[in-house]
Amino acid sequence: MAQAGVSYEYWSGVNPRFETFNRLLTTKAAIGQTPKEVVWTLNKAKLYRYIPVVPAEARHPVPLLLVFALMNRPTILDLRPGHSFIEYMVGHGYDVYLLDWGVPGLEDKDLKFDDYVLDYMTRAIRKMKTLSKSEEFSMLGWCIGAILTTIYSALRPDDGLRNLLLLTAPLDFSHRQEITFAHWTDEKYFDVEKVIAALGNIPGEMIDYGAKALKPVENYITNYCRLWDNLDNPRAVESWHAMNTWVRDILPMAGGAYRQLIVDLYRNNRLMKGELIIRGQLVDLKRLRANLLTVIAEADHITPPCQSEPIVSNVSSKDTEVYRVPGGHIGIMAGSSAHKQTWPHIETWLAARSE
Amino acid sequence: MSAEKENNKPADPFEPFRELRDNYLDAMSKVMINAVNSEEYAEASGAMLNGALTMSAPFREAFEKSMLMALQKLSLPSREDVAALAQRFTNMEMRLDDMDAKLDRIVELSSANRAPLAGTEPEAKRPAPAEAKTPNKASTRKG
Repeated sequence: MAQAGVSYEYWSGVNPRFETFNRLLTTKAAIGQTPKEVVWTLNKAKLYRYIPVVPAEARHPVPLLLVFALMNRPTILDLRPGHSFIEYMVGHGYDVYLLDWGVPGLEDKDLKFDDYVLDYMTRAIRKMKTLSKSEEFSMLGWCIGAILTTIYSALRPDDGLRNLLLLTAPLDFSHRQEITFAHWTDEKYFDVEKVIAALGNIPGEMIDYGAKALKPVENYITNYCRLWDNLDNPRAVESWHAMNTWVRDILPMAGGAYRQLIVDLYRNNRLMKGELIIRGQLVDLKRLRANLLTVIAEADHITPPCQSEPIVSNVSSKDTEVYRVPGGHIGIMAGSSAHKQTWPHIETWLAARSE
Repeated sequence: MSAEKENNKPADPFEPFRELRDNYLDAMSKVMINAVNSEEYAEASGAMLNGALTMSAPFREAFEKSMLMALQKLSLPSREDVAALAQRFTNMEMRLDDMDAKLDRIVELSSANRAPLAGTEPEAKRPAPAEAKTPNKASTRKG
């Protein structure tokens, strides 16, 4: 009898649980809430400056530029109030800038790394230096943002870059057996020219499928089972909702940049081999002299650690560190333990080099 | 407090199956990760994508052609026209940004030059007359 009562209680609670579940899947959480202002734009790209919360005299004089990947929104760096890397860094006295690439349109299908690095980043950095009145700056690149920042740092070693932070940086493509994307995009199976000719820009859905198919059960089933199990935990629900909002907000990638990613990097590993040419200039990693911190996610299935580690032995930087964090590609910066592990380490490393 | 909450939570009749479900999903996950990492999966997914693009190409091209003709008849710009215009806007933005950079530089230099003038020293502290009378380069060249 008692069991029947308990079961009734359970079943009467199922409907609200379904409603919550449905709400979480079909609505957007408020993400990217840290106050900011647009200080520069070019085409779809925007440079944001976050409103400082620390008095000018207590702030670090070297500004920090954040550069995220091309195919997702950078709001992952500012997920939700109380759990935002940007909020954390602003609170620790950094003058934080974020370069948001925006959404490429048909007119941007030929944009390449060359354009992103030499037209967009160069101009955004000039603006940042003017606004912050600092000749030196720090730069943090994450995922494909790390490829762009590395290329920039090697091409413009005298531009005032003091500190370079690379998060889960896919730079070395020599260990093909460990890189699933390298299998999928092998020229034997994948005709990149045909895809670009047909689609122009690579649809976000296609890139999203690629990322999710690396761990299909986790991404398509387990993720939702965990949410169902945790529906009674408001903090877990809020966190899941914010992350799901970011995950669903997918962007296309410019065809030209996609071609370079597949042909120059995944297939031919040109950056690490010292053969990558950007607008006629050879990208020589030995020219990179900035202090370097590379953060590696030990359980990263998108960028396995073997892709990020070798950079430190290929640059001329005297001050280098490899920091390994347990976690996945996104989890190390946006997961529940990021504020206890990854963020404090980055902040401490940067603080010592930002005076 | 949390223990109290736990006690108030209605018993879940599916609780005994949860562990079973998790074990099954873990096992499935390993199988699927191995599957997507195989050459066979890479080959099959490549073939599927290739097939889809090949099959859709004639329809896509026909649709694009007819759309272009319809737009021309209606005197409306095509996607390509709008894209070309947008590219020209971006080029103009870049030119403006270059000018902005030059203006910033001019402002910086002029404010650097103005700084000593702003704090103009009293007459007595100015350079000695002999020094002040030193002809400028232009006049030296002329002489």
